[in-house]
Amino acid sequence: MKGNGRIIEYALSTLARRKFKNFSIAVVFSALIAVLSSILFLTHAYKTETLKLLDNSPEIILQNMSGGRHELIPTEYIKTLSGIAGVGQITPRYWGYYYDSLTSANYTLMAVDENMRDIQLIDGRMPQTDTECAVGRGVADLRQAGLKDDFFLITGAELSVNLKIVGIFTANSAILTNDLVVMTKDSLIKFFNMPADKATDITVEVNNPAEVSMVARKIRRAFPNSRPILKNELIRTYDNIFNWRGGIVLTMFFGAIAAFMIFVWDKATGINAQERREIGILKAIGWETADVLTLKFWEGAVVATGSFLTGLILAYVHVFYFNAQFLAPVLKGWSVLFPRFQPMPYIDIYQIFVLFFLTVVPYVAASVVPSWKAAISDPDAVMR
Amino acid sequence: MDAIIRTEGVSKVFNAGLADEIKAISAVSIEISRGQITVLKGPSGSGKTTLLGLIGCMSRPTEGKIFVEGKDVAKLPERFLTDVRRKTFGFIFQHFNLIRGLTVMENVMLPLYPTDIDGGQMERRMEEILDKLDLTAKRAVRVEKLSGGQQQRVAIARAMINEPAVILADEPTAHLDTKLSEDFLNIVTSLNTEGKTIVIATHDPLIYEKPYIDNIIEMRDGAVKEAALL
Ligand SMILES: Nc1ncnc2c1ncn2[C@@H]1O[C@H](COP(=O)(O)OP(=O)(O)OP(=O)(O)O)[C@@H](O)[C@H]1O
Ligand SMILES: [Mg+2]
Repeated sequence: MKGNGRIIEYALSTLARRKFKNFSIAVVFSALIAVLSSILFLTHAYKTETLKLLDNSPEIILQNMSGGRHELIPTEYIKTLSGIAGVGQITPRYWGYYYDSLTSANYTLMAVDENMRDIQLIDGRMPQTDTECAVGRGVADLRQAGLKDDFFLITGAELSVNLKIVGIFTANSAILTNDLVVMTKDSLIKFFNMPADKATDITVEVNNPAEVSMVARKIRRAFPNSRPILKNELIRTYDNIFNWRGGIVLTMFFGAIAAFMIFVWDKATGINAQERREIGILKAIGWETADVLTLKFWEGAVVATGSFLTGLILAYVHVFYFNAQFLAPVLKGWSVLFPRFQPMPYIDIYQIFVLFFLTVVPYVAASVVPSWKAAISDPDAVMR
Repeated sequence: MDAIIRTEGVSKVFNAGLADEIKAISAVSIEISRGQITVLKGPSGSGKTTLLGLIGCMSRPTEGKIFVEGKDVAKLPERFLTDVRRKTFGFIFQHFNLIRGLTVMENVMLPLYPTDIDGGQMERRMEEILDKLDLTAKRAVRVEKLSGGQQQRVAIARAMINEPAVILADEPTAHLDTKLSEDFLNIVTSLNTEGKTIVIATHDPLIYEKPYIDNIIEMRDGAVKEAALL
């Protein structure tokens, strides 16, 4: 090993000689990266899953409005809808919300339909008879129920339905299905006591995506009380919500970075007499300024990249294996949008790069710059 | 006699322009002959360390010229100055200036780390020098655990690793008893017989009264009092 290799080796031994100082810096550094990248991982995973979910949703969801509120929609609309040019498949959907006092949680109850049969992400199968149901992972966990277990839902003071769990959605479909209870259409209609000629809403596919807004206009004209919700609008809305929340996250983010900068600055200006003396000795025994700066660069780079990677791995494990447990209280607002679920690991490389440039780079600079002054001055100071 | 180092009217001013401006040495013109032992003698504050630093390319003079092997180094850019320093001089500092926490071997090889010398060769050189200075048994010991005399030998070993033509020593016996001082002088004279030029700054009679000192340059108040060729 020659020149630069030996300088790197020496940098490592120098770090080891100042174990306590460097270790405590590495702990703070790793912790900061762990927190920041946990936030980034989590929000990015939420966003990716949501947009993926929206991608599979129908072009138009038609709701019936009354007094500004969402109401049941007459199924006879379907006849008129199929007469509109450009309209593809039309499907009435039956679903509703249910507050489960037993577990103090909201479930979404939904009738099994054609589209859903495509879902492969299930242990067991979809319900086929009126006494069967399939539930999301979150619901199963809350009720501590498994396949073939009984599942009660209480309707009124005395009424209740008793279903058997025949399927549980797998974790991979968590964001779609976590709070879901799927049953047959008949048992759902009975449970919610819905009139036979009404559905919750109607989904409308459009053959040519360019015609979506035109079709939506025609629908509005045909049913002035209805509200067509376009997939594109939904995506835009979610995007805005994410950007808004992203703004809050960003504020926290820069707060943390600012604190980190102060920490770095403090460390940087704190080049002590002993370090200064060592630089003088190295120069006096024949090291060039560039050699000294190379040394300081590697000292900084090893601590910074080591801490960065440690923080990243901690964040990954925290978010994707431990369900971001430590962040949950901070990001409570998210649960309005999402049930708690195990996020899938989606990572935005770009964000990692930004984080890298905002932390590792300034740290390395702060390791090199203050040594600069000592390194360019004459080494004769060490002689006294 | 062939002069390996020559100064012409060299002055050094510290804190120039400030209230505590100090003229450490002024108009110093001396010659150091190749292969000889030269002593810079003088009371405390007379400018010995300052002159030694200038000769050894540790800093540049405020005024005057310094020739090393016939080349004026006073105005050389820092990179070249470092190069001359590394190739020509080995320093033994008054306080040894070893790096605490590193072993004897590491301290001795440190000057060679940034060079392109191959690792095996570097270690062979180090082993040879440690052997010569009777430090082989202490090779893996951290320097702060050593006695003063041993630390000085490590400092000598480090000064020798670059195989310099000139060894500069500042007050080498200031912290040593008579026995250790004699040991030091034995090492120095043996280096001298190998052909090295030696310059020692000191006010210790034990050194400058030795018969084998070739040349004494006496300093007072930053100037050369007299240069006597013995
Ligand atoms: N870096 C510096 N900054 C300011 N003054 C200095 C500096 N170096 C030396 N001096 C001053 O220059 C003068 C000469 O100092 P120098 O150390 O060269 O003397 P010396 O002969 O080596 O003395 P000693 O025997 O005490 O080591 C002293 O007055 C000292 O205070
Ligand atoms: Mg001195």
